[in-house]
Amino acid sequence: MATTACFIIVSRNEIPIYEAEVGSAVKREDAAQLHQFILHAALDIVQDLAWTTSAMFLKAIDRFNDLVVSVYVTAGHTRFMLLHDSRNDDGIKSFFQEVHELYIKILLNPLYLPGSRITSSHFDTKVRALARKYL
Amino acid sequence: MGREVSESCVDSLLTEIVSTYNNRFYANKPELAARRIEAIGYQVGHQLSERYTMERPRFSDHLEAIKFICKDFWSELFKKQIDNLKTNHRGTFVLQDNRFRWLSRISTDPSVENTESQDPSAAAESKASLATMHVYFPCGIIRGALSNLGIPCAVSADISNLPACKELLLSYSVLSFYDI
Repeated sequence: MATTACFIIVSRNEIPIYEAEVGSAVKREDAAQLHQFILHAALDIVQDLAWTTSAMFLKAIDRFNDLVVSVYVTAGHTRFMLLHDSRNDDGIKSFFQEVHELYIKILLNPLYLPGSRITSSHFDTKVRALARKYL
Repeated sequence: MGREVSESCVDSLLTEIVSTYNNRFYANKPELAARRIEAIGYQVGHQLSERYTMERPRFSDHLEAIKFICKDFWSELFKKQIDNLKTNHRGTFVLQDNRFRWLSRISTDPSVENTESQDPSAAAESKASLATMHVYFPCGIIRGALSNLGIPCAVSADISNLPACKELLLSYSVLSFYDI
């Protein structure tokens, strides 16, 4: 179980549509901003890397101190980014795949406008449960 | 996520969408009705493209995305492959389907028109306009799917010989700032 982990979903228009701190460590006030900062800074790298491969799961693409950024890109260029300190690649890949399924379920909701923020608390609960299970 | 719906239900739903939008919501404003139907199709195409690309690797360029639309996406949606694909290599593609399932139930027999006061050409025109209403939704679906995969485009359909249907995709010239 990772002690620090921050997960965000960024849509194709560079707008974050979901954010969650899913680590098990105590939350410090400045840590949240720092995590978001690192993830947003990694977006440029994702942009370049996404065109070089046709895989969905791009492994660790950036590091900051001992935190690593892993990214999963869907065909519609929605990026799932995870900031973590563990090295568990398989667990992270399964986590991303399950969140992808959850994301598609949200997308299939006709009342959800694609590209808008995900406000469903059900989705939030499930993502946190998946994080506890896989990270 | 693999539940199925009967095809006749989908057909009835689509017929009802066209009829309601034309006769109730936007009576006498067929252009507005057409745009609304196309917008619904756009969102559906967006959702479906995300869903059908889940299992497969991503696309490395625009041509692959178009091939996906022509093969896998088309057969998932319309249960058959397209019959012909033409391109002018400058951003326009023509997809031809000789027996488009969603239009296959529209009657092509001109003698079933009931008003005698209409001369044959007017009857043919009103039938054509009714049929064109039915293609806005599939056009919207394809436009939504392509836009989600990163290719903004315009889709129009030519249904001069029912049940064949030709869809014309005009994609804006592939300059790099349209990349995601």
